[in-house]
Amino acid sequence: MHAADIVEEFPVITIDAESLDAVRMIAEQSLPGILVVDASGGPFAVLPASQVVRFIVPRYVQDDPVLAGVLSESVADHIAERLSGKMVGAMLPEHLVDVPPAEFDDTILEVAAKMARLRTPLIPVVKHGRLLGVITASRLLAAVLKS
Amino acid sequence: MTLFHAIYASTVFVVAFVLIATDRLNKTLVALGGATAMFLLPVINSHEVFYSEETGVDWDVIFLLLGMMIIVSVVRQTGVFEYVAIWSAKRAKGSPLRIMILLLLVTAIGSAFLDNVTTVLLIAPVTLLVCERLGISPVPFLLAEAFAANIGGAATLVGDPTSMIIGTAADLSFVSFLSNMAPAVILVLCALVALVPRLFPEAFIVDSERIADVMALDEREAIRNHRLLIQCGLVLVGVFAGFVAHKQIHMEPSLVAMTGAGILIVISRLGREFYLSSVEWETLLFFAGLFVMVGALVRTGVMDELAHAASHAIGTNALVTTMVILGVSFLISGVVDNVPYAATMTPIVGQLTSSMHQLHNHDVLWWGLILGTVLGGNLTALGASANVVIIGIAKRAGNPISFWEFTRKGAVVTATSLAISVGYLWVRYFLLA
Repeated sequence: MHAADIVEEFPVITIDAESLDAVRMIAEQSLPGILVVDASGGPFAVLPASQVVRFIVPRYVQDDPVLAGVLSESVADHIAERLSGKMVGAMLPEHLVDVPPAEFDDTILEVAAKMARLRTPLIPVVKHGRLLGVITASRLLAAVLKS
Repeated sequence: MTLFHAIYASTVFVVAFVLIATDRLNKTLVALGGATAMFLLPVINSHEVFYSEETGVDWDVIFLLLGMMIIVSVVRQTGVFEYVAIWSAKRAKGSPLRIMILLLLVTAIGSAFLDNVTTVLLIAPVTLLVCERLGISPVPFLLAEAFAANIGGAATLVGDPTSMIIGTAADLSFVSFLSNMAPAVILVLCALVALVPRLFPEAFIVDSERIADVMALDEREAIRNHRLLIQCGLVLVGVFAGFVAHKQIHMEPSLVAMTGAGILIVISRLGREFYLSSVEWETLLFFAGLFVMVGALVRTGVMDELAHAASHAIGTNALVTTMVILGVSFLISGVVDNVPYAATMTPIVGQLTSSMHQLHNHDVLWWGLILGTVLGGNLTALGASANVVIIGIAKRAGNPISFWEFTRKGAVVTATSLAISVGYLWVRYFLLA
């Protein structure tokens, strides 16, 4: 089995899109993350859902998790407002920018190794430089169990 | 030891000091590298390093630091610091000036009993939270807390690594340290409180509607483990009682701290990742390397020569000597990390103290060194570790503080601290002696 056999179409977003648009896509479609593409439509980065969650947590709460409890419920309910005005590019984790895509003829193990090394929930697949689609971790695992 | 050994040891030390002061390389690597260089000739041997009181690693400081770091690691799991800070902010009823004053007092008191860096690490997130709720810049608050942390650290033997180095070498008891330094610290703190409205004149304008956001914070949610809080409270009372009575019970503060740490580890039943979370192994290695380098200077007679030269230059007048030590310490520790400065000056001041016979108060030179070294750390962003930490926190929070911004405010605070220190030392140890 090769990457081209398990690749699937996947929502993408551009780097200069509003971060709230990315959050809506992830939330509404229950995605593990989203593929960020550049102006030419080529894969640029991966934005995991966990990274977005991290982004809405204030820095001081990340430094001192105790403070999450002292904020009132009304404040907690409005934490998504931290995303307004921010672009997708500002949320990208460094290690998932310029993520090397899988080639269409990579074996499942090669794809899995790339995903494990990059700690990414999904990986773009290309053929001759053209984006074919994406392999998510769950799809990879399903393919592994089938084979 | 020959002249060659002395020149070699001095060269290694100066190079290491410059590298540490300019922050070009990791300071722990520099200190360990310098220590290794001292073994090479050898300038100093393992017996002198591990077992000598004059030339060796000051294990009392290392273990006092380690013990307090472990204690802090456990205490911070309770959330008590965050509780006190938020409770204080709410007592201020949303007034930014009162909040700043209360937070800096909490910082100073915390810093007197905990390490400065830990104190600012605990207070900064709460500060960012409160300022975000009020919709005001956290920069003035963070700066004031850095100043307060350094000031508070001069009050007790355990308040600052510099205090530990000097106090342990000078064999100062916890009570003696507290009774001599706390009054000066209180005076400087009062001056800081009076200064802050003038230092940060535009920092206290807030939309009154935002005050409710601060009042809505629930500090009780910060306490996560009531049982642990009680355990920590009991152990801390015992530890500080041990510090107060350490001369009577013949137990060095390092042993008191390690005993308290051990008891807390056992009764808290916390995992290693929690009770070691505040232990900075790099800092402990840095201290060890530093002690070896300074020990080599003592061993080769360089410190003796420096002390004689200082004594010749300053003369034998106790008042003049005290004020020179104070002034020079303020200046130097304001521009370089005060820890290596303190480690270097300690044997020199020790020699000066031994050689001066007309001191009414035998420890006055030490008090001058402590005040100058600890309070001088407020001058620039490089003067103390707490300053560097605050700058880093402010940058990560999107509110960077430039070197000159820090120095402009720090210079005012330091000049005021110096004036008060001069007056305090003169009045208490010379005029009224």
